Amino acid sequence: MRDTMMSRRSFLHTSAAALSLMGVTATGLTGCGGSSSSDNGELNIFIWTEYVPDSVISDFESEFGITVNASTFSTNEDMLAKFTSGEDDAYDLLQPSDYMVKLMIDQGLLQKMDTTTLENIGNIGSQYLDQDYDKGNKYSVPYMGSVTAIAVNTDKITDTITSYADLFDAKYAGDIVMLDDYREVLGIAAESIGVSNNETDESKLELVRAQVMKLKDNIKVYDSDSPKSALINGDCVLGAIWSAEIALAQRENPAIQIVFPKEGAEISTDNWVIPTNAKNVDNAMKFLDYMMRPEVAKAISDDYPYVQPNTAAIALMDDDFKDNVAENVPAEVFESGHRTESLPSDTLKIYNDIWTDLKS
Amino acid sequence: MKLSSHEFRSNTLPAAITVIPAVAWLALFVAIPLVYIVVMSFCSIDEYYNVTFQFTLGNYANLLNPSYVQIYVQSLVIAALSTIICLALGYPFAYLISRTFKEHKVILYMLVIIPFWTNSLIRIYGWRTFLGASGFLNAALMSLHVVNEPVDFLFNQGATILGMTYDLFPFMVLPLYTAIEKLDEAQIEASSDLGAHGLATLFKVVVPQTVSGIFSGCIMVFIPSLGAFYISDILGGGNSDVIGNLIQRQFQSGNNWPLGAALSIILIAITLLLVKVYQCSGGDMESLGV
Amino acid sequence: MALKRQLREKLRHRGGIVYCAIIYGILFLPIAVIVANSFNATDTKPYMSWKGFTFDWYAKLLSDRSLLSSFGNTMVLAITTTIIATVMGTIVAVGMYRYKFRGKGVIDGLLYIPVVIPEIVMGISLLVLFTSIHLPQGMLSLVIAHVTFCLPFVIFNVRARLDGYDQSLEEASMDLGANKLKTFFGVTLPMLAPGIAGGALLSFTLSIDDVVVSFFVNGQTMTFPLKVMQSIKSGVAPDVNALSTLILIATILLVVLTQSKMVPNLVSKLRNRRARTLRSQDCAGTSSVNMKEES
Repeated sequence: MRDTMMSRRSFLHTSAAALSLMGVTATGLTGCGGSSSSDNGELNIFIWTEYVPDSVISDFESEFGITVNASTFSTNEDMLAKFTSGEDDAYDLLQPSDYMVKLMIDQGLLQKMDTTTLENIGNIGSQYLDQDYDKGNKYSVPYMGSVTAIAVNTDKITDTITSYADLFDAKYAGDIVMLDDYREVLGIAAESIGVSNNETDESKLELVRAQVMKLKDNIKVYDSDSPKSALINGDCVLGAIWSAEIALAQRENPAIQIVFPKEGAEISTDNWVIPTNAKNVDNAMKFLDYMMRPEVAKAISDDYPYVQPNTAAIALMDDDFKDNVAENVPAEVFESGHRTESLPSDTLKIYNDIWTDLKS
Repeated sequence: MKLSSHEFRSNTLPAAITVIPAVAWLALFVAIPLVYIVVMSFCSIDEYYNVTFQFTLGNYANLLNPSYVQIYVQSLVIAALSTIICLALGYPFAYLISRTFKEHKVILYMLVIIPFWTNSLIRIYGWRTFLGASGFLNAALMSLHVVNEPVDFLFNQGATILGMTYDLFPFMVLPLYTAIEKLDEAQIEASSDLGAHGLATLFKVVVPQTVSGIFSGCIMVFIPSLGAFYISDILGGGNSDVIGNLIQRQFQSGNNWPLGAALSIILIAITLLLVKVYQCSGGDMESLGV
Repeated sequence: MALKRQLREKLRHRGGIVYCAIIYGILFLPIAVIVANSFNATDTKPYMSWKGFTFDWYAKLLSDRSLLSSFGNTMVLAITTTIIATVMGTIVAVGMYRYKFRGKGVIDGLLYIPVVIPEIVMGISLLVLFTSIHLPQGMLSLVIAHVTFCLPFVIFNVRARLDGYDQSLEEASMDLGANKLKTFFGVTLPMLAPGIAGGALLSFTLSIDDVVVSFFVNGQTMTFPLKVMQSIKSGVAPDVNALSTLILIATILLVVLTQSKMVPNLVSKLRNRRARTLRSQDCAGTSSVNMKEES
């Protein structure tokens, strides 16, 4: 036993030494790599996964000489949790959705931004500005919008799907991928029985609960990071996910089609905001201005075809984009959609309970 | 105070110097955080998800909520099954390495450890790649015409159990190996000399002597599997949440730290219960850490 | 009768081999998948379907700044943690063994907590503590967290070694005039070395693979496991597979090196060569001394 212990130890000794060597090398390599572009400071951004293309960020880095450190999150609540539990100057830019912007403004978490200094703000379509959650755009500028539509793999599903309600049919057991977001999923269930996705009345919420439970067998995968993967892989043949994810899935497999639900889709607009104690406000404003350039916005849409508020960018898009409803979401779909709003914590407790029930 | 052979007369200064740093560390970073958690479990949250010092038993009341109970029960079942499978597969394996193939035991032992030098997350993801609808296994099955449609191996409880068992297998094998190594060869020989055939020797002589190893291994598999949320995330697809997922969610999207704290206290209680059982059945606490 | 037994033994032996082979096969299966995928010439997420063989991902690995820096972070974190935990742990283990005082039971209890407690509870309790004292979250909070769960393992390993320890050597050393400190460094420490090494290695291993605790207290500092977790969400890019394959190859090479006689042979060859050169430089007078050295 002594022999094995000694040789085990010598093995572990030397492997630790080698791994340390690799680690030191790795640190050295990264040190070399990073020194070229950090002359003008840093920028710390906290963004949705699969939302801002790496190429756009690195082009910004090389043009402005600012090092961008990006972290990602997958739901608004995750973002809020991480942001509030860390240092308040950890991030310079955040990407909350509409209702989260309002919540953060009310909580005094955000600082005002002077949009007049942003040259390219004129490119943003006026229908996306001056919204209820931030009148006059004092704290936020829109980034992109999203529509939660239905994805159908027409090779495997021959039925006609037209509404959220169709997804609750028991014959789709084990077929569906949905977002790992309780507001979205409960919202879909609520809409499918004609109840508001921001319902507070407890008796109505009981109806929502019953409807949600039908999804227990139907949903196979919960994914807010890359829901298209399940569709592309064939793990799921139906989904209620963001329109851009459906468009991207379609690029891999043309059989995957988009359907906008009859009840009206869940929609949201994601916005750039600056936390109150952010360190690099100037760099943040430069980044925002850069983001709103037509060619940059177009590049973003090419990779992640969400609802683009930048009208100058849309003018640059080609017919492939304009004719594809998954990428170029029709205006009426967006206008007739349902937005999520923030709710009192007692109501949210009920929502969370229903979610726990579903996921158990 | 009667000193045992290795103890010097108490010199407080050297004693203090050696012991205080570590004790202070443990008090500050183990004891105090737990006190915080206990306090927090009785707190509430306001509109904006901030913790308020308003005493409530509401978080613990959740234990009466059937959906929470179901998750706890489900986690215990998943953990139990993972432990049993680890034991069933691991015991013969440890025995074979330690006894039957003892000439090569060093290499064989290393071969168990080497996979675990690759990051565990990426190995779990390897399983996902292997078992997915367009993964290697399904591709093979379909090309051999065993099935026509991809089989759903993933995104259910079974996949989670597979992941837990795989991830925690060495924690079962190592204590078993250590215990089997300590076996008295003479007793086994005596047993077979007296006419007992293989299985009888196994169950009447070998197993009883390795009981401490068995318990140690079981604890080291059972407890982590209650909290390893990333395995049920990656392989279970969100369908087979364990207690770990529930707690993690309260600190992330649920934004309800007091609830998360209460759930953690309940988890600690379950853990301490198991450890007590382990101790009462003669388990040695120190062997859990070696 | 003897023949039947022999046959049974043989069958048992064969069966044993098959069984172990299957278990090892299962253990290494995901590794095979990872290695295979590191050569996968796929370029679109989620990187799962096989599209041909390529070494590109290994090249791309060198330019993946965030992945490499996360690996660097993990190494720095693991080494720092190991050093702090080992030093603190050894000192307290010796102290507790050596001196009698009240409260050892309490300390023992505190030590067992990080071992048996589920990691998720450790992670959140530290998060709660760090947030309330406004500790900057990043490498500092990671080091503190990692030392906290590694410390007990170091202590247990050193204590295991202390249990079978021969007091008389220490007493002899002090009888011969060395003071307590000299005895500690000259006699005690070398004898404890295997226990200390075991604890240090366990500490290193636990730190480099930690996911759950790091998840809660890392702030924005990415460690390798956390980076892998992040990339899993959008489909693991094969350069992560490439890095993992490289680590695996390094580990296997080390097993081969330490287990085979290559390194000891090399070392003794070098020693012989050095002794020979010394001898040839010397005149006849010192050759007898060198001959003794060589043996």
